[in-house]
Amino acid sequence: MSVHSVSVAKERLKNLLISDRIQCAPDAVDRLSNDLYHTISKYMEIRRENFDITVTRTDIHIKYMGEKN
Amino acid sequence: MGEVIVITSGKGGVGKTTTTANIGIGLSSLGKKVIVIDTDLGLRNLDVVMGLENRIVYNIVDVIEGSCRLKQALIRDKRFPELYLLPSAQTKDKSSVSPEQMKKLVEDIKEEFDFVLLDCPAGIEQGFQNAIAGAERSIVVTTPEVSAIRDADRIIGLLEASGIRRNHLLINRLRVDMVRRGDMMSVEDVTEILAVELLGVIPDDEQVVIATNQGEPVVGEDCPAGRAYINICRRLMGEDIPVEDYSKPEGIFEKISSLFHRN
Repeated sequence: MSVHSVSVAKERLKNLLISDRIQCAPDAVDRLSNDLYHTISKYMEIRRENFDITVTRTDIHIKYMGEKN
Repeated sequence: MGEVIVITSGKGGVGKTTTTANIGIGLSSLGKKVIVIDTDLGLRNLDVVMGLENRIVYNIVDVIEGSCRLKQALIRDKRFPELYLLPSAQTKDKSSVSPEQMKKLVEDIKEEFDFVLLDCPAGIEQGFQNAIAGAERSIVVTTPEVSAIRDADRIIGLLEASGIRRNHLLINRLRVDMVRRGDMMSVEDVTEILAVELLGVIPDDEQVVIATNQGEPVVGEDCPAGRAYINICRRLMGEDIPVEDYSKPEGIFEKISSLFHRN
């Protein structure tokens, strides 16, 4: 099964826009995401696969799904 | 007092000029008094797309420099009720006009029209700054490609930074068949990423190429792009028309034919 090219496009675009919007190198976003994950994990139980950050021009959203699922 | 709308995109080749021409013609055919202004100094194209290239005498730089009156430079498109073109200059460069001069020109012009459409050049340099100087709102044109969407996002940021807050998205050249098989970003994929309101979607349609070859409009014609453009015009006039759903299942014909082609 080949991966549909849309998922590749979306992933690339997402990374591009984050680095455009906060004006940093793409790997800085990964480091930011990691740091935020570790900071939050000190205070609440989260899992890597349920944690995601979104950066827009005005906000940084942290998304996590707690124990419920 | 007219509404001043800049049609912009950042990236070149996504369909700004074709969109400007077709929206201008569409609004005119719906009874509005419209002027379309080509602000791409040095790369004049809107006149060609509209089939008016043989009628140019004066241009926008002549008007701004005071070499002629506005009325002398305007080209009336006789095929439509009230449609005028202010052509760009082919021999001048971007620096022959300042944003202040453009703003003043647009302010004088908008008194007499219902809609002023500004066709913006590609890029984010002075040509872009000139084009947006007099605009109150924008139509950001993109195609469902990574590079075009990235540029659209940048442009939206720049428009907002310049105080233009009413920004609408137009997704051009959507290939419905490719979206269905997962090889092109869908309308939802694009609108999720770019946080501005969707004005409309133009499906990829060879009629656009055929019409542009002939210097004819496609808006209002009985083809997918023609219908999509006229709906966009109606939305701009405030009508509440839902955006066409290009993700819905295939029509009966396609379903039956795919049954026969299975395996």
